[in-house]
Amino acid sequence: MSDTAATPVVRLLNVCKGFTKGQETISIFDALNLSIPPGDFVAIMGPSGSGKTTMLNLLGGLDRVDAGEIDVAGKRIDRLSEGELARWRSTHIGFVFQFYNLMPMLSAAQNVELPLLLTALRRAERRTRVEAALKIVNLADRTKHYPREMSGGQQQRVAIARAIVSDPTLLLCDEPTGDLDRTTADEILHMLQILNRDLNKTIIMVTHDPAAAKYAARTLHLDKGHFVEKDLAA
Amino acid sequence: MRSLFLQVAAVTLINVKSIPQRLWLSLSTVVAVGLVVVVLLAFLAMANGFERTLADTGANDVAVILRGGSESEINSTVSREQVRLIEDSPGIARDAAGKPLVSAELYLTIDGLKRSTQTRANLPLRGIGANGAAIRKDIRIAQGRMFNPGANEIVVGQGVLREFSGFELGSVVTSGSTRWTVVGIFEAGGSVFESEIWADLPVVQSLFNRHNYFQTVRARLVDPAALGVLATAVENDPRLKLDVKSETAYFAGQARRTSDLILKLGWPLAIAMAIGALAGALNTMYSSVASRSAEIATLRAIGFGGFPAFVGTMVESLILAACGGAIGALATFLLFDGLTASTLGASFTQVVFSFRLSPALVGQGVGLALLVGMIGGLFPALRAGRLPIVAALQE
Amino acid sequence: MNDLLLVRKNLFRKKLRAGLMIASILIAFAIFGVLAAFERAFNAGEDVAAADRLVVVNKINFTQPLPMAYFNRVRGIDGVRQVTHLNWFGGYFQDPKNFLLVFAVEPETYTELYGDDFDFPADARRAFIGERTAALVGEAMAAKWGWKVGDHVPISSNIFSQKDGSRTWDFTIAGIFKSRGAQANTNFMVFQYEYFNETRSFLKDMIGWMALQTTSPLVNDKVAKAIDQMFANSSAETSTDTEKAFNKAFAAQLGNIALIVLLVVGAAFLTILMIVGNTMVMAVRERTREIAVLKTLGFTGGHLLRLVLGESVLLALLGGLPGLALAFLVTLLVRDQLANFVPGIALTPGIVLLGLVLMLGLGFATGSVPALNAFRLKIAVALGRG
Repeated sequence: MSDTAATPVVRLLNVCKGFTKGQETISIFDALNLSIPPGDFVAIMGPSGSGKTTMLNLLGGLDRVDAGEIDVAGKRIDRLSEGELARWRSTHIGFVFQFYNLMPMLSAAQNVELPLLLTALRRAERRTRVEAALKIVNLADRTKHYPREMSGGQQQRVAIARAIVSDPTLLLCDEPTGDLDRTTADEILHMLQILNRDLNKTIIMVTHDPAAAKYAARTLHLDKGHFVEKDLAA
Repeated sequence: MRSLFLQVAAVTLINVKSIPQRLWLSLSTVVAVGLVVVVLLAFLAMANGFERTLADTGANDVAVILRGGSESEINSTVSREQVRLIEDSPGIARDAAGKPLVSAELYLTIDGLKRSTQTRANLPLRGIGANGAAIRKDIRIAQGRMFNPGANEIVVGQGVLREFSGFELGSVVTSGSTRWTVVGIFEAGGSVFESEIWADLPVVQSLFNRHNYFQTVRARLVDPAALGVLATAVENDPRLKLDVKSETAYFAGQARRTSDLILKLGWPLAIAMAIGALAGALNTMYSSVASRSAEIATLRAIGFGGFPAFVGTMVESLILAACGGAIGALATFLLFDGLTASTLGASFTQVVFSFRLSPALVGQGVGLALLVGMIGGLFPALRAGRLPIVAALQE
Repeated sequence: MNDLLLVRKNLFRKKLRAGLMIASILIAFAIFGVLAAFERAFNAGEDVAAADRLVVVNKINFTQPLPMAYFNRVRGIDGVRQVTHLNWFGGYFQDPKNFLLVFAVEPETYTELYGDDFDFPADARRAFIGERTAALVGEAMAAKWGWKVGDHVPISSNIFSQKDGSRTWDFTIAGIFKSRGAQANTNFMVFQYEYFNETRSFLKDMIGWMALQTTSPLVNDKVAKAIDQMFANSSAETSTDTEKAFNKAFAAQLGNIALIVLLVVGAAFLTILMIVGNTMVMAVRERTREIAVLKTLGFTGGHLLRLVLGESVLLALLGGLPGLALAFLVTLLVRDQLANFVPGIALTPGIVLLGLVLMLGLGFATGSVPALNAFRLKIAVALGRG
C-alpha cells in the first residue's frame, strides 16, 4: 500500500515517448502515469520491447520525454537542461546495469570513487565514503583489485557500491541479475533488500525474472504502455 | 600442399577485403610510408642529379692541368711560359694546321642574381681562347652566336639562364664597371659547363689585370691513354709544378664532396622517418589483427592452421607498404624529377643541376617501403598465427 | 584519484598501442628538433651580424680583391666609426683535407671592430699587434687541434705561395679568444696582413674586403652609398651592404635550407597527425559504452571532452618531450663534426618553445574529433534500448 501522506519520490504524469523507425513514429508510452513513495522497492516486469529500459532511462534523466512531466524528489527533471541533468544525476541517482559497466583499468575503490569526483568533497572524505560503501557490499578486502580479477557477483557488488556512494535519492537497476547464476543472483538481490530496509533506499528494478521480482516489495507490469500492479503473492 | 595453398589464399583474401573496415587507419599507414619514400627519393634524386651533371662533364681524352696542389681551377695559377712548355709536350693532339689543341683559360667569379632566393650568388666567368669550345665535347650554340674575339661579349650556358635572372639573349650584364652583352646561349649536354659564362680570354685578362698568367690549361689528348705520357713528361720537368688529370677525373672529384654531403643528410633522415612510419604500420596491423580475431579464431576452430593467418597478415602489411612506396615514387617523379636547382660547388661557384630519379633509385625507395611493411607486419602476423582460439572466440 | 589519473589510465589501456604512438611522435619531434637546430645554425649569420656593421666588397664578386688604398679612403668617410680589412688565406693544416678558416687582417682595427663579438685578452692583443708572426686563434679551433698560447704552428695555403715557392707560413699563437655571444663561431684564426703581404708571391697590396662600423645604424644607407659612390667608375668598383644582408646572401648560395627543412618537418608531422589522429578516434570509439556510463554517473559532456583532449595532449607531450631530448643529444654529437660547415648547432630556447607549441597543437588536432564524439554521445543510444 502506498503512503499517500508523504510526497512521492517519483511521479510520472501523462508521459509520452516514442521512437522513429525510418518514416514511422512508434509510440512506446502514451500518457503513462506512475507514483512511487519514498522507501519503496518496486520491480517492473514486462515483455520484451515494452519499454522497461526506456522508462528507467527517463527516470534517470538519460532520455527525454516527448510530452508529460517527470518529478523526482520534488524536481521537474523534464525541465532541466543537459548540463543541469548531469549535475542532478550525480547526486540523486544511482545506476546498476546488467553488465556491471565498471572501468576495467580502475581498481574497485577507484571505480566506486568516480561519482564523488563530481562533488566538492576532499580526498579524505571521499576515501571514507568509498570504504563505507564497499563495507556495505562486503567487499572491504578487495578495494585494490581490478574488475578482471573478480567474479561476476563481486563486480556487480562493486557496481552497487558505486551506485550508493553519493547517497542518492533513487536507485535504478536494469536487469541487475541478468548475467549471474542463481546463487550469486540471490546474494545481490538480498543486498538490494538490505539497502532498502536498513538504509531506506528507494529502488526501482527492471527484471524479466519472476524469482528476482519476489525480492521487491511490489511488482508492476508494463504492458502496451501501461502499468498494471499484480500482487505476486496471489 | 594444395590445401595449405588454398588456406593461405582464403585467409589473405579475407584480410585484404576487410581493409575497407579500417580504411582511415590503413590509409594513414600508406601515407606515412609514402612520405618516407618521397623524402628519401628527393634526396637521392638531388644527389644523383648533382653527380650526373658533373659526371656528364668532361671527356677522358681531355687533360686538365692545374698548379700543383690546387684543389680546383679557381685556386690555380699557370704562367705563360708553363703554357708554352705544355704545348710542346708529348701526347697532345694537333689540329689540321698542326697547332696543338691546348686552351689556356681563366676561371673567375662574378655575381649573379639567383632566381629562387633573389640573392646574389657566385657565377663562374671563364675566359677561353680560340680552342676553348672545340676542345670540349657536345658544345652547341642554341641561340644567338659565339662571342667575337676582343669584344665585351659573353655566351652563357643554359643552366645559368634557367637559374639566374638577367642573362637573356641580348641583355647587358654589368659586372663591376664592365658591361657585357649576352650574344649567345649554349648547351653542353647537361654538364657543369652549362652553369658557366664564357668570354674571350684576352678581354677577361685585361679587365681583371691578369696579363701574364692563366688559371687552367686544357689539352686534347691524342687518345685517353696518352694521359700517362703527358703526366710523366710534366712530372719530369722541374719548371712544371703542375697536376695533370683527365677532365672526367677532375669533375668526378669535384662532385664527390657535395653529393656525399647530400646523401649523408638524406639517408639518416629517411631512416628516422621510416622508424616513425614503422610505428604507424605496427599500430595499424595490430589493430587489424585485433579487429579480426573472432574471424581468425573461427577459421582456426574449423581447422585452418596458424600459418595461413600469419601469411595473410604479412601480405596485408606488404600490400599497404607497397602502395605507399608506389605512390611515394610516383609523387617524387611528378614533383621533383627534372626540377632545376643550383648550389655551391667545390669551386665556390654555383653549379646548376636537375633532380634525377632513376629506376635504381626508385628500387631503393620501394625497397625501404617494403622493409617497413615487412617488419611492421611481422609481429602482428606472429600474433595472428598463434592466437589462442578459445579466448578469441569468447570475446 | 583525479582527472589526470583517468586520463593516464585511459591512455595506457593498451600499452603497446600507446607505446607505438609515443614512438612515432618521439621520432617526429626529434627530426623537428635536429632540423630546426640545423636551419638556425645555418642562417645564424643573419642573427649575429651587428646592426651597425657594413661590409665592402668588390662589385664584381666578393672573391675579387680591392686595392689597399681604399682602406684609408674609407676611413675618412663621414659616418664611419671604425674600419678594418680582411683577406681570405685559403688555409689548411698539414693535409689539404684539414681545411681551416684563416684570415689576414689589419690587427689593431680588427680587434677593435670585433671586440664586442669576441673577447680578445689585452696582452694577447698587444702581442698580436706588435709581433709580426703573431696569430690569434678562436677557442673552438684551438680546442680541436690542441693548440695553446705560445705554440708555433705552420699553416699552409691552397691559393697563395711565398716568394720562395713554399706554401706554408709559420705563426706563433699570441692568444686564444672566446666569443661573447652564444652563436658566434670561434673556429677560425687571424694573423697580420703585413706579414702576409710582404711574403706572398702575388696580389701584392691588394685586400680582400673591408668590414666597418658606422656611427649609428640610421646612417648605414648614407655611408654605403657614399662608399660606393667614391669608387664608382674606377677599375675596382665596390658594393657595400649590411653584414646581415651579406651573410644571408652567402647562406642562400647553398640553397633554400629553410624551405627544405620546412618541407621535411611538415611531412613528418603530417604522418603522425594521420596515424595518431586515426588511432585516437578508434580508441575512443572502443570506449563508447564506458563514456555513456560516466555520463550516467553525472559527468557532463564538457567534462568528457576535456578528458579526451587531455589524453591526446598528454600523448603528444609524452612523445614530444623525449623527442626534443633526443634531438638535443644528436645536436651535441654532430656539432663537432659539422663545425667547419655549420658552426654552433644547438637546440635554442626558441626551438624548444616552438616544439612545445607544436605539441599542444598536435594534441588538440588529434583529440578534437574523438573529444567532440564523446561530448555529443547520447547515453540511451550508446547503452542500447531495452
